[in-house]
Amino acid sequence: MRSALSSTVRWVLLYLLALGVVIGGWGGICALLVWVRGRPVLPTPGETFTAAWENLPVLAQAFGTSALRFLIALVVSFLLGLPLGLAIGFERRLDTFLSPLIYILYPMPPVALLLFLYLAFGLGEVVRLVVVVIALFFQVVVAAQGAAKYITPSHVAAVRSAGATRLQLYRHVVLPATLPNVLTAARVSVGLGITMLYIAETKLGVLLGPEAGLGRLIEYYTFRGDISLAGVVGLALLGLLFYALLELLERSLCRWKFVGAQRGR
Amino acid sequence: MIELAELSIAYGRGPSKVSAAEGLSLFVDSYELVAVVGPSGCGKTSVLMVLAGLLRPSQGQARIYGEEVRGIRRDVALILQDAGLLPWKTVWQNAELALRIQGQKDSRERVDEVLHQLGLTGFESRFPGELSEGMKRRVGIARALALQPRVLLMDEPMANLDSLTREHIQNLILTLWREMGFTGLLVTHDMEEAVFLGQRIAVFSPRPARVVEIVDNPGMGTVEYRGTPEFMAKVAHLREVLGGSS
Ligand SMILES: Nc1ncnc2c1ncn2[C@@H]1O[C@H](COP(=O)(O)OP(=O)(O)O)[C@@H](O)[C@H]1O
Ligand SMILES: [Mg+2]
Repeated sequence: MRSALSSTVRWVLLYLLALGVVIGGWGGICALLVWVRGRPVLPTPGETFTAAWENLPVLAQAFGTSALRFLIALVVSFLLGLPLGLAIGFERRLDTFLSPLIYILYPMPPVALLLFLYLAFGLGEVVRLVVVVIALFFQVVVAAQGAAKYITPSHVAAVRSAGATRLQLYRHVVLPATLPNVLTAARVSVGLGITMLYIAETKLGVLLGPEAGLGRLIEYYTFRGDISLAGVVGLALLGLLFYALLELLERSLCRWKFVGAQRGR
Repeated sequence: MIELAELSIAYGRGPSKVSAAEGLSLFVDSYELVAVVGPSGCGKTSVLMVLAGLLRPSQGQARIYGEEVRGIRRDVALILQDAGLLPWKTVWQNAELALRIQGQKDSRERVDEVLHQLGLTGFESRFPGELSEGMKRRVGIARALALQPRVLLMDEPMANLDSLTREHIQNLILTLWREMGFTGLLVTHDMEEAVFLGQRIAVFSPRPARVVEIVDNPGMGTVEYRGTPEFMAKVAHLREVLGGSS
């Protein structure tokens, strides 16, 4: 327990250190740009944080809206993508028929379809969610499929020999066996997801106010660089938040993975 | 009671067909413990898979207590090679797994008891990754015994263990067999293990498996048997039979 606590403390300290480095680098770049261009280009950390403090309500509201939107998109893409990906990876017949389909659709950027998504779903909340869901959905499907393909046969035999139904097989073997990989993949996909969120909020939210999401806020304050940049910082924090959330989820749901690793050291 | 009648097992079809058993016949009486030895890859695991209802024979029949095996039976338990523990489940959850899958209620006490019998009390909440190899095998045995099976199929339960741990688990299986009274089929490639645990020892041929010889082993049944002249003679005999057939 003590070592778990101290490792958490270390983790937090490392992130604080990284934050310091980022802010320091940011300040350096500001100074560099002033020197090169002869005028301020990028708002300094001080200016940005002041602007953030002065506009905290709208910023917080935008952050909350974006966070909720991202959370819903993440949950929906897991609910849709996980069962499909696991089934494709585990059931050999589905694999032969559906894998080509997935791999044809997977590299297609949903951004390229914005026009059609807009025509199909209008400009409401749904379309913004759909853009993010499509991006994350394929990430989850491909990760789940890859992991489910290589399940240890003796684990399957262990539950099958006890008379497990298909559903029990998924519940006791396929899902827990693949969860670490799927969660890791989801964590890696947070960056892509945030990019898609930004695009959805800017391209598909032109008539909305700045509180309708961080992407919208950044665009709305194009002529107030400091507030706009505060929105960018908000997006970065949003990514970090979900990254940490998925990491925590993995640590609590896949405890066995970390126990074994600690012994291995 | 186990009957294998002219059993043939084949994987795949056409030119890539692999035959794992051909015309194999074997009878194991109720409460008997029979050891099976044979060269590696001859089809021993495949025969157990048929008996466990996980694999269909291509010809012939496998019967348990007079009924043809057509699928998983609740009175049959299988101990897999390398135990087949699920790394994401604790010792207790692994031991309970088969009972839970079969929806047997009130299994808590039975799981506790069988874990106690196998010396695993106190390790219930550990994950397999935290256990020694010998403990993992014991959890695998616990999982099968929790079902209180009439027939216990064991696939090399002591393979790749150090000799001290191996003897310990061999003694444990002997004790459990005498206490719990099951019909046992134990696959091994260790001659001494076969002589220690088999009332009779069936020697399989190289692939496709057939029964080459059945060695009677009436002296078996006590821990002291190991190392006696009779024991050594049986081991030497088995070595000779297997050496000649492979
Ligand atoms: N799922 C399978 N598909 C194809 N061939 C298999 C399969 N399982 C086993 N075999 C083949 O059947 C033969 C017997 O295997 P097995 O029963 O595992 O032997 P043993 O347990 O005696 O070592 C081996 O040649 C093996 O390669
Ligand atoms: Mg084998």
